[in-house]
Amino acid sequence: MKKLVVGLLILVFFHGLGEQGVKWLELEVPGQLLGMILLLVVLSVNNSLLSWLESASSQLIRYIGLLFVPVTTGAFFLGPEIAGQFPQIAAVLIGSTIVAQWFMGLVIRAVSKSNE
Amino acid sequence: MNEMLMHQWQLIAGSSWPLLLSVIGFVIGLRIYNRSGKVSLLHPLLIATPLIYFTLNLIELDFSLYYQGNGLLTWLLGPATVALAVPLSQQLRQLPALFKPLSIALLLGGLFATLIALVMVKLFGLNDTILLSLAPKSVTSPIALGLVEQLGGITGLLAMATMVTGLAGIVVAKTVFQLTGVADERWQGLILGVTAHAIGTAKAFETSPRCGAFATLGMGLNGIWTSLFLPVAVGLFVS
Repeated sequence: MKKLVVGLLILVFFHGLGEQGVKWLELEVPGQLLGMILLLVVLSVNNSLLSWLESASSQLIRYIGLLFVPVTTGAFFLGPEIAGQFPQIAAVLIGSTIVAQWFMGLVIRAVSKSNE
Repeated sequence: MNEMLMHQWQLIAGSSWPLLLSVIGFVIGLRIYNRSGKVSLLHPLLIATPLIYFTLNLIELDFSLYYQGNGLLTWLLGPATVALAVPLSQQLRQLPALFKPLSIALLLGGLFATLIALVMVKLFGLNDTILLSLAPKSVTSPIALGLVEQLGGITGLLAMATMVTGLAGIVVAKTVFQLTGVADERWQGLILGVTAHAIGTAKAFETSPRCGAFATLGMGLNGIWTSLFLPVAVGLFVS
C-alpha cells in the first residue's frame, strides 16, 4: 500500500514536470509524454526508483481501459456529419493498419536477413 | 506553475457521481470480456461505452456533464502515460544485439503507419478535422490522446479510431505474418506493438512473454517516435 501511494506520487510528480517542461521549453509534444521520457531517462541512469514504481504503474496500466471510458463514450456524440463518414473512416483505419503491418513485415525480413 | 496546478485541480474537483456510471459500465464490460474467454470483439470498452450511451439517454444526462463528472479518470491518464516508462525501461534494459534491426524496423514502420493513414484520409476525401483526429491512431491511446489535443482534433473520434485500429491489427496480423514470412515471434511482437498499440501488445503476450516484451518496446518507442515527427507530417497534409 505504501509503495502504491509513493509510486503514484512519483508518477504525478513526473507528469507535472513534463507539463511544466513543455511550457518552459515551448515543445510541441504532450506534457505527459515528456514526463514519460524524463522518467525513462531517470530509470535508465539509476533504477533504484523501479521497486517503488512497479506496483503503481502495473495497476494503472492494467486498468487503463477504465480511464478511457469517458472519452470513448464521446464517440457516440460526434454528431451526424462525422457519423455519416464512418464507413470511409473505418476503411482508412482498417486499410492503413493492414498495409502498415505488411510494410513492416517486408522491412523486418530485409533487415533480419542482412543481420544473420 | 499555478496555472498548471489549477487546471489539474479543476479536473479532479469536477468529479462527481457520473464517475460511477463509468466504473459500473467498465466492470460489466470486463466481466463479459473475461467470461467470453477474452474474445477481442467483446473488448470491455466496446461493451461499456454503448451501455453508458444508452444510460445517459435514459436518464437524460448531458454528455458534457457526464464528462465533467469523470474528471478524475481523465486526470489519471496523465500519470498512467508516465507509468508506461516502467515496462519500457525494463524491456530496454534487456535489449539485446537486435538493437540495429529493431530501430530500423521501428523508425520506418512507425513513420509509414502514420503516412499511409494520412494519404488514405486524403484519398477518401475526409476533412482536416478528421485528419487531425485520426493522425496518431497507431499510437497507444494515452499518448495519442495528448497528441490529438495538441493538434486540435476530436478526442472522441480518436478514441474510437485507436480501438478500431487495434482490433483490426490483431484480426489481420496472423495472415500478414504468413504472407510476409515473419515467423520469429519477437518480430511479430514488434509489428503488433507498433501497428496495434496496447490491444496488439495484449495479444502478443498471449503468444509468449518474449513476443509481448517486443510488443511493449514497439508500442512505447513508437509512441515517442511518432510524437516527434507527427506535427511535421500532419503539416504536409492539412489543406
